[in-house]
Amino acid sequence: MDLIVTATAQGLLWGMMALGIFITYRILDLPDMTAEGSFPLGAAVCAQLIISGVHPLTATAIAFVIGALAGAVTGFLITKAHIPGLLAGILTMTGLYSINLRVMSRANLSLLGEAKLTDFFTRFNLPSQFDTIFMGIVLVSSLIVLLVLFFKTELGQAVIATGDNEKMARSLGISTNQTKILGLMLSNGLISAAGALIAQDNGYADISMGIGTIVIGLASVIIGEVIFGNLSFVNRLICVILGAIIYRLIIMFVLLMGLQPNDLKLISAVILAVFLALPSIRTRFNLNFFQKKELL
Amino acid sequence: MKKMIGFIIGLTAILTVAFFTSSNEIETMKKAKPMVGILQLTSHPALDLIYQGTVDALNDAGYIDGETMTLDFQNAQGDQSNLNSMSTRFVSRGAAVMVGIATPSAQALANSSQEIPIVLGAVTDPEGSGLVESNEAPGGNITGVSDLTPIKEQFSLIKEILPEAQTIGILYSSSEDNSIVQADQAIEIAKEMGLDIEVMTISSTNDVSQVGATLASQVDAIWVPTDNTVASAMTTLVSAADSNGIPIFPAVDTMVEEGGLATVGLDQYELGRLTGEMVAAILNGESDPATTPIRYLDEGEIIINQEKAKQLGITIPTQLLEQAKQAE
Repeated sequence: MDLIVTATAQGLLWGMMALGIFITYRILDLPDMTAEGSFPLGAAVCAQLIISGVHPLTATAIAFVIGALAGAVTGFLITKAHIPGLLAGILTMTGLYSINLRVMSRANLSLLGEAKLTDFFTRFNLPSQFDTIFMGIVLVSSLIVLLVLFFKTELGQAVIATGDNEKMARSLGISTNQTKILGLMLSNGLISAAGALIAQDNGYADISMGIGTIVIGLASVIIGEVIFGNLSFVNRLICVILGAIIYRLIIMFVLLMGLQPNDLKLISAVILAVFLALPSIRTRFNLNFFQKKELL
Repeated sequence: MKKMIGFIIGLTAILTVAFFTSSNEIETMKKAKPMVGILQLTSHPALDLIYQGTVDALNDAGYIDGETMTLDFQNAQGDQSNLNSMSTRFVSRGAAVMVGIATPSAQALANSSQEIPIVLGAVTDPEGSGLVESNEAPGGNITGVSDLTPIKEQFSLIKEILPEAQTIGILYSSSEDNSIVQADQAIEIAKEMGLDIEVMTISSTNDVSQVGATLASQVDAIWVPTDNTVASAMTTLVSAADSNGIPIFPAVDTMVEEGGLATVGLDQYELGRLTGEMVAAILNGESDPATTPIRYLDEGEIIINQEKAKQLGITIPTQLLEQAKQAE
């Protein structure tokens, strides 16, 4: 029971990261590796600010803005310097490593005993982890509302159109370069803010905490899609969050089964591979125990 | 859509039940057999030896897995997103004592519980990492063993073996706090001894080969701190240094066995044993983390890799050889 609570709390926080991945990977159709740099960037910026006395909410918001700037760099490299998307992301991610070290001025910043965003909920004397859950629900639902509102605007529709068919979007007079940069900024802002939240939840920011995050984000997006099928835009965003929770539940389950800890990475890879392969297995064998779905 | 709503309703139901029942679950889960949770950051010889030492010392103190205690060992394999889940696993299973091997795992444990005693397996500077109030009087639920190496003795050893050496290279990974602490101390010590220092950092094991070779071409010897990343790629560093005929003086004994020349090292296994002893003392109710100072290994021992010395054409002073332990 306790473990489900923890998985939900963790999933809500990682869900925010997954929303960022969803924007680049699904909406813009651009695998963006910047995430592995902007995630610890958010953690670093937020931790450093909190330690110097800034309010955690302000610190998290600043982490969002700084992360968006990192996304802008990748966007610039792709659109203006014409560097392929994957490579541009890797370049920014690599550069961010040094920047993150500069921001933290060491490799690991402790937040034990410092103010945290969840402190607001602690005053209600909730059972353990529920402060994170309530904070997560508030943050994630307001984010989903904001994202839905944004993607309904003309600008938001232009971002979607760019991802769907860049040539057509351009012929409609959309400046696809700008929309791409915007999408990347939004995505990395979210990822960076998620990094800030997870640093507060973990009690530290560490230079290596970005490793493997992109897999977690992708897994959340894909698990959500595969399990819940083809849905409207709002529901797809909700599914990303549910996917993040389910991913955490799976990892928790694997840990509980008492498997060799050394096999954990292999197991996560196999889980992800299974979920990625499920749609084609389904079509191949005409199985319809899952709803039919179509990906963007 | 139906499935999604179903999932959300199911999850909410479980959370609601948990919300009203979970208040003091940990207290009720205390068992006859105490559970010890050990959380290790990643696998490499030094950390593995600490783990081994901890378990052996616990066994010697009468705590045997499956008989007089339950041992739960988790290894995050360097993926920090798992540290949190693993820590919660310990807490929810009602761990009596938790052991964190390497700084991030210790921090994850510290964040998951303010009550369960936590013993640090190998944290260079517990106070600097914010884990304890002070190394002498930790104050909270955390105490443990520091792996701060006798850097001064190591530099004296370099002087003794290579009296001619003037420039010493320092190689460490910029992603590790513990290394930066040690490197800063080493630079101070080298200055006092009148040595010149060339510092280079790596960001992952992939950099070791090139950075190692570049550094080796500029210095008379290389000193390496207790560093998880360098430790993982020690053999790579050794081959890079070998091609320049430069000896490596690592801070850790396992790194001498892997091709370093010599060190005044902390026996990682002994560090682990010290950790295990502290865990046993807490399990016996003999000690309270808040008032138990951080412990250090009293003295390092000289460890020399003679095969490497022969290969590099370095003669080790005989009186040094007599008091040294041979690396295999």
